[in-house]
This record gives sequence, structure tokens and C-alpha cells, in this order.
Amino acid sequence: MFAMDQRMTEAIARRAGLERALEEFPDDVVAAAISAAKVTEVIRRSCRTPSEPWPPMTVVRK
Amino acid sequence: MNERHWMTAKAAAAAIADGEMSPVELVKALLDRIERLDPRVNAFLLVDADAALKEAHAAEAEAAQGRLRGPLHGIPVGIKDIIDVAGLPTTCHSKIFENDAAARTDAECVARLRAAGAIVLGKLSTHEFAIGGPSFDLPWPPARNPWNRDHHPGGSSSGSGSGLAAGFFPMALGTDTGGSIRNPASACAIVGTKPTYGLVSRRGVFPLAFTLDHVGPMTRTVADNALMLGTLVGHDPLDPASVQLPESCDYMTALDQGVRDLRIGFVRHFHEADIPADPEVAAGLDRVALTLRSEGASVVDVRLPALQDFAAVNRVILQSEAWSIHSEWLRDRPGDYGRLGRRRLMSGAFMGAGDYVLASRRRSQMIVEVETALRDVDVLLCASAMDPACRIDEPEEIERTYMRQARTPFNVTGHPALAMPTGLSRDGLPLSVQFVGRYFDEATLFKVARTWERVACTDALHPFLVG
Repeated sequence: MFAMDQRMTEAIARRAGLERALEEFPDDVVAAAISAAKVTEVIRRSCRTPSEPWPPMTVVRK
Repeated sequence: MNERHWMTAKAAAAAIADGEMSPVELVKALLDRIERLDPRVNAFLLVDADAALKEAHAAEAEAAQGRLRGPLHGIPVGIKDIIDVAGLPTTCHSKIFENDAAARTDAECVARLRAAGAIVLGKLSTHEFAIGGPSFDLPWPPARNPWNRDHHPGGSSSGSGSGLAAGFFPMALGTDTGGSIRNPASACAIVGTKPTYGLVSRRGVFPLAFTLDHVGPMTRTVADNALMLGTLVGHDPLDPASVQLPESCDYMTALDQGVRDLRIGFVRHFHEADIPADPEVAAGLDRVALTLRSEGASVVDVRLPALQDFAAVNRVILQSEAWSIHSEWLRDRPGDYGRLGRRRLMSGAFMGAGDYVLASRRRSQMIVEVETALRDVDVLLCASAMDPACRIDEPEEIERTYMRQARTPFNVTGHPALAMPTGLSRDGLPLSVQFVGRYFDEATLFKVARTWERVACTDALHPFLVG
């Protein structure tokens, strides 16, 4: 299920500026990465739509 | 009713307007109850007793002169602490904002309540930044469920739900980005509505996710919910999501007209196939469907996308947008977040721009799919929570039940959704149902909810609290 290995997790965290979290709360960084991997996997697998994403959110009165 | 603390906002407003009760009397009775019982429930982060009493005296004087500010004249309200109240800090239940200055102005929703005559009692407990909770590692304890203090009151509008169920106020403001009004409504046996996206201004509310955030009313009865929403709606040019409605929103006139000839779509697969519900929850939903049918509505099965797909879209959008808000603090002050908030908010760092766009594209498609279903029915009936509230001190159970719900679909699509009780479990914990309406058709939603409330007497459900 979790496709991101330790090295990739750390690399992404560092690129996002989370060095301090990596040092002080490494378990939380890993948990956040696992959680993100689970939902993005669903999105990447299930999104088969020609729909465009714009506007981001609008509600039209009918 | 002699017990002031169980009075509805509607009844209290009528008693004040008729000169039968003073706002001072009401506010004093509630402040006394809060002082005695809130240490057991933790609904409040801050009780603003002096200001509330001052406002109550002003409201009393105005009422004596026949001058009523609006339909909520003299009615106390609690405010979730991610919403600005002038003169009070907005802590978001977090160390990040613990020592910040007080808000200088009211959020638009608070200003509208005050204009209708409401009196602010104080700021209410929430999950940290409306996402990290329930947590015991924050500057304030989490709210507890008045039905059983060992259990979670739902979140993130936890103090709003627990304070209503405890009889601390007849109305509260909540916010809902992934179900945070309807979750405590489900767990505490009260009524919570997430209105149509854009109907209620979010200005002055600390954002969790811009395109999913909603502000809405939480009350103990459907009529109070309708009354409160009526005072909250209206275009706000300073909220980019706020819609301009052509007509006024009257939710009270049709409230008791029943459901004869309405078409109800029962989304069974949510709780029967996607995430199988606790049997008592499922039995409650069947009872609601049978009751509405016996009251003259037609009930047909309806299919929507799977809950897991809705949840994934909600979480990718929510956590990506939330990361854009919290990234600087998470980089510099990760230790000032509680563990749950830190984990949930950091998730956005591990999602790519492509994931956000994919989720947004799927969202557009989901909106079309729900709209298509609502062409053939007036209202959807479905589960809110799949389980009664779990224990608050069992992190594994909190985590397990966190996604066992059917609320996120309607944050994704923006449709109005109301959660309310169906009854109590054998263990004495609230069970719930959710109704979902067409865009801007909250009036029909309230009509259906009121019919169920009238038949099942769910407004008579109150926990027994001893101080």
C-alpha cells in the first residue's frame, strides 16, 4: 500500500522545509506521508474523467 | 417549560418578546449551569460572562420599550473558537494562537447573529484548527460527550455539540469542512446543518480549506436551526465564495407542512456496502425511511459514487489547501501543534499539484453525479455516522471511526446537508441520520427533518448531567 520509502519520505519532507519536524517528530512525518500516499493512490486510480477543474468551487442556483 | 436551559431559541424569543421572561434571567440561568457543569464537559474555552450579562441588560431594556433587534432578541449563542468575536482571542484551540491578540471585529456570521439580537456567551472548544482532535496535548482539554463523558462528542465543532446537549445555550455556530458540524450533531443528538456552499459568509472564520469550508447553525431543534440559518444567510461582497440570492430566505413558513408528495432518495449503499454501519445505526435509518413513507413521501433507492472516492477527493483537496495555510508554522513551530493536528496537516506536504488537480477534476464530476440524482428526488436520506460515538481516550478507535462516515460527499459537492438524531443505542449513545437537499433548498431539508422530529420526538432527547 505505502509506496514511498524512507529515503523518499525524507527527501520530500526536506524539500517541503520540514527538517525540524523530521528531527523532532520523525514518526509524525512518516504517518503524514503514509496517510497522503493512501488517498493519492485512490485519486490516481479512480480519476477517469474528462472534467476540467475550473472554477475550483462554484454553486449555481437553478 | 420551566427549565430555562432546555428552552428552545424560538420559545425563549417569544417569551422575551411577550415580556414573560427577561434576557437577564435567561443568561444568568445558563451562566449558572455552565459554571456548575462545564468543568465536566469542557465545552467552553472562554466564558465571557460580564459581556453577556451587559448585553442581556441592554436587551432587557430594549424589550421593555418594545424594541426588538430581530428574531433572536436576547437569545444566548456559543461560538466555535475558529470564528472571530470582537474583543476575544481566536485561539483555534491551538498553542500556535494561544497568546495572540483579541479579534478586532466580529466575523460576518457573528455580526449577523448580533444584528438579530443574539448574545454571545463565549468561545467553544474545537479540534485544533478544526482538524487535530480530540487531543489531550493542547493548551485546553477536549470537549466531552454529555451523553457519556467517556465518549467523544464528535468534532471538530465539539464544544458546540456538547454545549447544546448539556443545555448551556440553545444555539451555537459551527464550521464544516469534512463533516465538522454534522459529526457532533450525530454524536450529541442535536441538529446541525451545513448549508449550501456560499450561502453563509466565512469572513472572519479561520480557514481550514477554502473550497470546502462552510459555516452553519447548530441547535437542539429543527425549528431553531431554521430560525438561526435565516439570520445567517446573505451576500457578503468580502467573501469570494458568497453567493447573491435573489430572494429572502424564509425557512419557517413551510416548516410544518409535512412531506406528502415529496420524493426521498435513500442512499443505502453508503451504509450497507461502502462502509457497513453498526446495526443500530442501520435500523435507525430504516425507521426514518419507513416513517417518511407513512407520512406520504415516496422513498426510492439512489446510487452515488462510493464513499471511499468522495473521501479521497475531500482529503486531497482539504489537506492540500490546509498545507498552504499551515506550512510556515509546520516548518518553524512543529512542536506547537498537537500530535494529531501535526500529522493531519503535514499530509498536504506529501501531495503533489497533480493530485490536487486530479481531485478537483473528480470533484467536478461528482457534482454532476449528485445533481443528476437530485433531478429525480427532492431530498437524499443517508447515514451520517456509521457508529455511535467511540470512547474519547482510545486513539485507535478514534482513528478507526474517523473515516466511517458519509458527510464528506457534501463538502465536496457543496449541497446542503443536515444531521440529526434517530434515537439512542442500547448503551444510551445517540444514533443519527443525514438529509441532503438541492442547492439553496434548505427549506425542503428542514421540512423533511421537522417531519421526522415531530413523529419521533427527537427534540425531547436530553442527557442527564449532575454537577
